[in-house]
Amino acid sequence: MKNVLVVGGGIGGITAALEIASCGVDVTMLEEGPSIGGRMIQLDKTFPTLDCSTCTLSPKMVEVALQKKINLLSWAKPVAIRKNGKGFTVTILKKSRYVDINKCNACGSCSPGCPVVMKSEFNMGTGPRKAIYIPFPQAIPNKASIDKRTDRPCKAACVDACPIHTNVLGYLKHISEGRFEDAYMLIRETNPFPSSCGRVCYAPCEGVCNRGQLDSPLAIRDLKRSAVDRFDLDTLEPPQVQKTERKVAIIGAGPAGLSCAHDLAMEGHDVTVFETLPEPGGMLRYAIPEYRLPKAELDKEIGYIRRMGVKIECGIEIGKNMDAATLKNDYEAIFVGTGAPQGIRLGVEGEDLSGIMDGLKFLRTVNKGESLERESLSSHSEREGVAQPALLVEGATRAPLIGNKVAVIGGGNTAVDCARTAKRLGSEEVTLIYRRTRQEMPAADEEVEALIHEGVKIEFLATPVRFNGSNGKVSTAECIRMELGEPDASGRRRPIEIKGSEFSVPVDTVITALGQATETDFLNPLGVKLRKNGTVEVDPFTCTTSVEGIFAGGDVTTGPAYVVDAIAAGKKAACFIIKFLKGEALVAESIDAKPEKLSEDEVKALSIWVAKADRIPMPEEEINQRVTNFREVALGYSAGEAMTEARRCLAGQIEGCIQCGECERRCEVRAVDYNMKDEIIDLDVDSIVLAPGFDLYDPTEKREYGYGTLEGVITGIEFERICSVTGPTGGDILLKGETPKRFFFIQCVGSRDRLSGARYCSRVCCMYTAKHASIVKDRIRDAEIYISYIDVRAYGKNYEEFYKSTQENGILYMRGIPGEVVQGKNGLLVRVEDMLSGEMREVEVDLVILATGVRPRKGTEELCNIMSIERDEYGFIKANSVAPSKTNVDGIFVCGMGSGPKDVPDTVASGGEAASRCMEYINQ
Amino acid sequence: MLEQMSTRVLACMQCGKCTGSCPESGKTPFNIRMLVRKKQFAAAIAEELPWYCTSCGACTLRCPRDVKPSEVIIELRSALVEDGLMPLALQKALENTAVQKNPWGKSRGKRGVWADKLDIEIPHVSDTESKRLLFTCCIQAYDPRCMVIPSNVARILNKGGLEFGILGEEEGCCGNEIRRIGEAGLNEELQEENKAIMEEYGVKEIIALSPHCMNAFKKEYGDLGIKVTHYTEIVADMIREGTLTVQAPFEKKVIYHDPCFLGKQNGIFEAPREILRAIDGLTLMEFARSRETSLCCEGGGGRMFFEVETTYERNAEVRVNEAVEKGAEVIATACPFCVMTLEDPATEKGITVKELSEILVEVI
Repeated sequence: MKNVLVVGGGIGGITAALEIASCGVDVTMLEEGPSIGGRMIQLDKTFPTLDCSTCTLSPKMVEVALQKKINLLSWAKPVAIRKNGKGFTVTILKKSRYVDINKCNACGSCSPGCPVVMKSEFNMGTGPRKAIYIPFPQAIPNKASIDKRTDRPCKAACVDACPIHTNVLGYLKHISEGRFEDAYMLIRETNPFPSSCGRVCYAPCEGVCNRGQLDSPLAIRDLKRSAVDRFDLDTLEPPQVQKTERKVAIIGAGPAGLSCAHDLAMEGHDVTVFETLPEPGGMLRYAIPEYRLPKAELDKEIGYIRRMGVKIECGIEIGKNMDAATLKNDYEAIFVGTGAPQGIRLGVEGEDLSGIMDGLKFLRTVNKGESLERESLSSHSEREGVAQPALLVEGATRAPLIGNKVAVIGGGNTAVDCARTAKRLGSEEVTLIYRRTRQEMPAADEEVEALIHEGVKIEFLATPVRFNGSNGKVSTAECIRMELGEPDASGRRRPIEIKGSEFSVPVDTVITALGQATETDFLNPLGVKLRKNGTVEVDPFTCTTSVEGIFAGGDVTTGPAYVVDAIAAGKKAACFIIKFLKGEALVAESIDAKPEKLSEDEVKALSIWVAKADRIPMPEEEINQRVTNFREVALGYSAGEAMTEARRCLAGQIEGCIQCGECERRCEVRAVDYNMKDEIIDLDVDSIVLAPGFDLYDPTEKREYGYGTLEGVITGIEFERICSVTGPTGGDILLKGETPKRFFFIQCVGSRDRLSGARYCSRVCCMYTAKHASIVKDRIRDAEIYISYIDVRAYGKNYEEFYKSTQENGILYMRGIPGEVVQGKNGLLVRVEDMLSGEMREVEVDLVILATGVRPRKGTEELCNIMSIERDEYGFIKANSVAPSKTNVDGIFVCGMGSGPKDVPDTVASGGEAASRCMEYINQ
Repeated sequence: MLEQMSTRVLACMQCGKCTGSCPESGKTPFNIRMLVRKKQFAAAIAEELPWYCTSCGACTLRCPRDVKPSEVIIELRSALVEDGLMPLALQKALENTAVQKNPWGKSRGKRGVWADKLDIEIPHVSDTESKRLLFTCCIQAYDPRCMVIPSNVARILNKGGLEFGILGEEEGCCGNEIRRIGEAGLNEELQEENKAIMEEYGVKEIIALSPHCMNAFKKEYGDLGIKVTHYTEIVADMIREGTLTVQAPFEKKVIYHDPCFLGKQNGIFEAPREILRAIDGLTLMEFARSRETSLCCEGGGGRMFFEVETTYERNAEVRVNEAVEKGAEVIATACPFCVMTLEDPATEKGITVKELSEILVEVI
């Protein structure tokens, strides 16, 4: 069986391939890019008939796809060749597409999620494309490709460390390029509480960030906040989903319950959340102080969940004003996410004295604003685009809540929150008493830092042993010094009392923040199995409890943990509740990957090309300003700061795909494979047809025309894309969003030009410019159009007529090539001598279109070197003068622009000629 | 006759790119394409026309057929010079240059006077170790407005710790303008004399103060084996390397005018801007026509030495008007001819023209 190799998938190559295949010969067609179609598919119309180029070409492209004799290899090119008898053995490099061509069904769901925005080659850079893309709707093969150029330089440990696997590198990429809204939407894909997490997340991602091994980790949480600050959630419409009428009850409106509700509502389920406290939000609302998380922000996030159709009923306590059994009967599934709302007692003498209170209760009281007034305050900062907290506990007296000398017992975040809150309420002396040292404090480092800055005193290695009082009111806390012994179960060194080291601290208020416990008695009637410590026993992979249909997650199953853990648990439970309602088996699918570190060698290699840059500190409210009120301390990055900080992300250092996994997550047929490898294949062929096509001259070096420096100076092929329905504007001719009215076309840019090394005429520019002018005239009736020329080359049938009719249409042809284009007051000034009148003119226009000349396609030289093909002085393939498809090598033929400028009809003809010469050769 | 042509007039395809590029097109009777066309046919050319050319070089730089229209002009002028058909002032300038080695006919003996008045001692180049020559240029050696420039630059280079010397009265006109006026013979004489003296003293490097001199030494003296730079390049290096530090601010809006011989003809666009950007408080502004499309001040090609007959809005006026409209307070440039042409309309409009060194001495 004969086999012919066609290199190049433009109109020339397509014609040759189809002609050869129609003779019953097998054809292997190589296309260097993602799709065949070549330059012609980029054209809006073809001259002189003004037929739609896509309409003419795409049937032929489809024919290639359907023709069984043609084997099309995209992303493929020859890299070596050996003579093999009369034929050749060709070594072909098949670049990896990173998408399984047999699975991809061109559904297009991948691209919108991709955070890597690149210039579309198809649109000549006039519009964007994503790193995963299908170049245009009519592409053949119609399959996505990933523009992956290098492996990601980091391990994306952030994503693995995050309990909800937030696409950190994806949203950082968006932010680094100023796309805050896209970043926000990407965060929302996995997180219904971006604003809360952007403020109070403990950010396990930052701890493992691989950049931290070079200089300092990315400020991932603060960057999340920067995206939140620039998006108003109130303007986001919830997606329309098909309702299922399946009822699910959720107990507890904390982050776990609400996240579960959010994901269930996304599936269309009918969700009701029951909450004991007067407002939803759980610890987010009642434990975290206003200065860390303004409640207005939380209200927006919960508001969105409500707008999704989730019913939230507050003031309902299961077992008290609602029966647990009824709940079980009325709902198909139940999620328990009641958290760990109980404080733990210290268990020392005098703990019941007045003035001693539980930390959680204290925070709840302050957050509820009970016995405190809330006043709104106008924005106190001018930082751009940053929403400022409007709530302030102003003028509120700390009495009767707390006194002047406050001791806070504990070392966790709650203890720190209590101490900072007490300071804000005006207590003069606030002391934190912690039994270990700073190193062992479970509270976040930056929180402890802030605490110290705000003037709270810390007594490390001390614990109260007794509280003394007078008149039933606490007056001193008697403490004892501690030292650290052997590590205990938590891995921290156990504090041991030092005998005889007692000392006393005068106090009028004591706030204890020693830990939290669950309240799960209400589950007893349902028979849900509890652990000894009161937490609910669950399968950690599926969130199922001992009772079918009842799921649980968050602090109620784990004891006190972090917000994002609760969100993760709620989401996981939702996922399995959805399966449960469908009647599917509840088995965990995958085990989460562990965050990886960079090896020392990798760090060394990276530090060579990644410039050191430390993270940008989050701007904060002045210390003396902040301790008097509850305004948010962290002020948020400016857009510039956020972009600069986000640009530090190691994943963002590379061109192309950053392997963030978003497309993989979205692809329903699992076609994405980042680890696909390039292939090298050997192929025996009897003959070869080269159709490498052409490029267009880059006029940047002609500085006098201002291409690349003046807005409104573009090339003909760019103009073609702007005119095209498949182009970036959908076919509207627009400049900065407005319709330009005055056009100036300059001919012979980079043709007939010694300076740019092309003394030849490019043959197509006169006609394509006439075509462009006609398109403009057709779409913008009142357009003023000039074409400057040296002499118009419109040969043969229909061409001269087309040129003349263009002129008659009112397009002004001006003999004389402009010397320069400069910025004028109301547009671009084209300085040109109208030679036929001998007058020098300065024409003011909106758009200048350079009719750039034809150049051999990039890669033609390499191709010719491999195949020992001779080229002419310009680099085009040297063709035989009487058999114009013959090259200097027997059996290798050329067609189309590869051997020099040709228009579409000539290229088609040359494709046919090459096919017939090729047939002649293989049948000899 | 055709063989003798250094230019390639027959290659011209009459595309008009030269006229579209020419700073004299439209506003004066000068049409460079037409002159090339007439030259193709050896047709008669009105004798006043060739003298309009400012030798800015735009036509030659952009000609797609490498016709070198500005060289065609020099050929036309040569023929006129031979026949004595030239403006009187130009004739005078040539005579002066032949005698005193400067077009103004100032005494050659006084060429180094500017250095005598300086607070620093500048050695003769032969007494330097580096054999680095600061080439003054005629206009800056004699003209009262421009004499400050060599003094300034000498101070600046001195402050930056650079060793250099001068030729004093032994320096002669570089010939750049003389060649463009069409006096090839005199140009050759000047070149020979300068070459001989530089050879005698073993000059290894020339720092030119005027872009016109720099152009001649770089491109028209043949291979001298001498490194030729414009002083702005040296100063920009000094600032970048930290040997020269800007100490005082210059709180002005400064618009920079690219001289043709520094910018479009020799590609030095960045060095002067780098210097200006290094100055605190200085706001650097740009003309709409800058860099490669900078509008010629009409001081070159002999136009410095005579006035054309027609009246029209001079390019210097166009420049000054734009600077004023944009709210600039100072027009900065790096060429003595530009300073001279811009200053008249600038004074009228109440805006200052400063050669770069004049700003620099204020801030270092």
